[in-house]
Amino acid sequence: MGTVGLTLRWEDRISSAASNGGRRVEPSEIARENPENSLLPEDAAIAAGCLAGDLRAYERLYKLQGARMKNLARNLLGSAMDAEDAVQDTFVKIQRGIGSFRGQSAFVTWVFRILVNTCHDLRRSRVRRKEQTRDDSNDSAPRPEPRAPGAHPSVRMALERALAALTQHQRDVFLLYEVEGFRHAEIATMLEISETASKNTLFQAKKNLRGMLEPPRSAEAGGR
Amino acid sequence: MNISCNDRERIFLDGSTEEWVALEEHAIHCAACAEEIRAWKALSTAAEELRDYREDAALWTKIENSLKEKQQKRTVWRGWWEKLGWRGEISLGWRTALAGALVLALAVSGIYVARYRGKADPTQGRFLRNSALAEVERTEREYMKAIDVLAAQAKPELDSPATALMASYKEKLIVLDSAIDELRAEAGRNPSNAHLRYELLAMYQEKQETLQEVLETKR
Repeated sequence: MGTVGLTLRWEDRISSAASNGGRRVEPSEIARENPENSLLPEDAAIAAGCLAGDLRAYERLYKLQGARMKNLARNLLGSAMDAEDAVQDTFVKIQRGIGSFRGQSAFVTWVFRILVNTCHDLRRSRVRRKEQTRDDSNDSAPRPEPRAPGAHPSVRMALERALAALTQHQRDVFLLYEVEGFRHAEIATMLEISETASKNTLFQAKKNLRGMLEPPRSAEAGGR
Repeated sequence: MNISCNDRERIFLDGSTEEWVALEEHAIHCAACAEEIRAWKALSTAAEELRDYREDAALWTKIENSLKEKQQKRTVWRGWWEKLGWRGEISLGWRTALAGALVLALAVSGIYVARYRGKADPTQGRFLRNSALAEVERTEREYMKAIDVLAAQAKPELDSPATALMASYKEKLIVLDSAIDELRAEAGRNPSNAHLRYELLAMYQEKQETLQEVLETKR
């Protein structure tokens, strides 16, 4: 039973976290028996291919994680163009740094860690550039730009606006957990924080988002 | 399992599956909890709106091109080293000499540290920090000087870039210089922040690599 996480296909491992209604379930037994540092066969094969300089391994990585990487980058940076730059930079950094990957974490976690850092760097340089061009904006949070309409565009726009008001840390954890489906253990590795800190940050992020998106209705609810 | 309204936030933070089931059972008779659970779950549902996993083949083409370009440059560098006679093979005599030099360096630094610690006084902690900082700043200045030498060699190519690649190097270096200036200003305000120093070092390394690539392209 505890090997559920290990038997999942590599590409499904992130998105297939069990869910219970609106909440993802992270049974501690699975977390214990599916340690972060155990490389899955395909994870290891892609890492080995990248290390050997095999472009097909990079292509496979892009095929499996490219869309998710671009999605995260777009949500972190608020721009599709910047997101493409971030994903491209990330692949170049993977190529440059693959020699230092020792399998301490899952390969995909390592990749997303590079991506998150690249997005932070890009955002910082973008802010600097804006300051240099005397842009009157003093907001370092991403500004969402239009994209393909989803089922509820108004919900998405409201959420994007609210996310921009969160701290960078809260935004990172919310996007990684709720949108990209990473587990707290994986997020902890990516952001170099503890699992508890990841849980606390998510809790705070959701509380803040709720406050912004939906004013508390406790009096009304209590009266019912 | 007995769950009350007071348990709600704790379960939102880190509740087990069983606790969630119990909370939802409790919410059947508790309007306040039912509303809170609905709002909490609505955020996860809304988060799905931020998923856009459309495939982008054009982006892969761009990535592939830059990977190939970098790979090619690396091969050129390897060839350059080989031309210089470096094949990763060192004769036994050289190996012994290098090992001896390393041992000597370790011994000298060991003696230095031992003497330095022996003269400790109550202000040692602060002095050590200041001394370490001075050492970092000295090394940084030397590193910058070395990079400036590289920059001077690359200057003619960068001043009037003949190719698109050279123009992109020039642009990258401008961005790097701006980032370095910013980080140095930050480091000046907060000199003991090791993280800033690491970031600064990473920027210097990036600049050094870029300048080396410019010089290699020139060759």
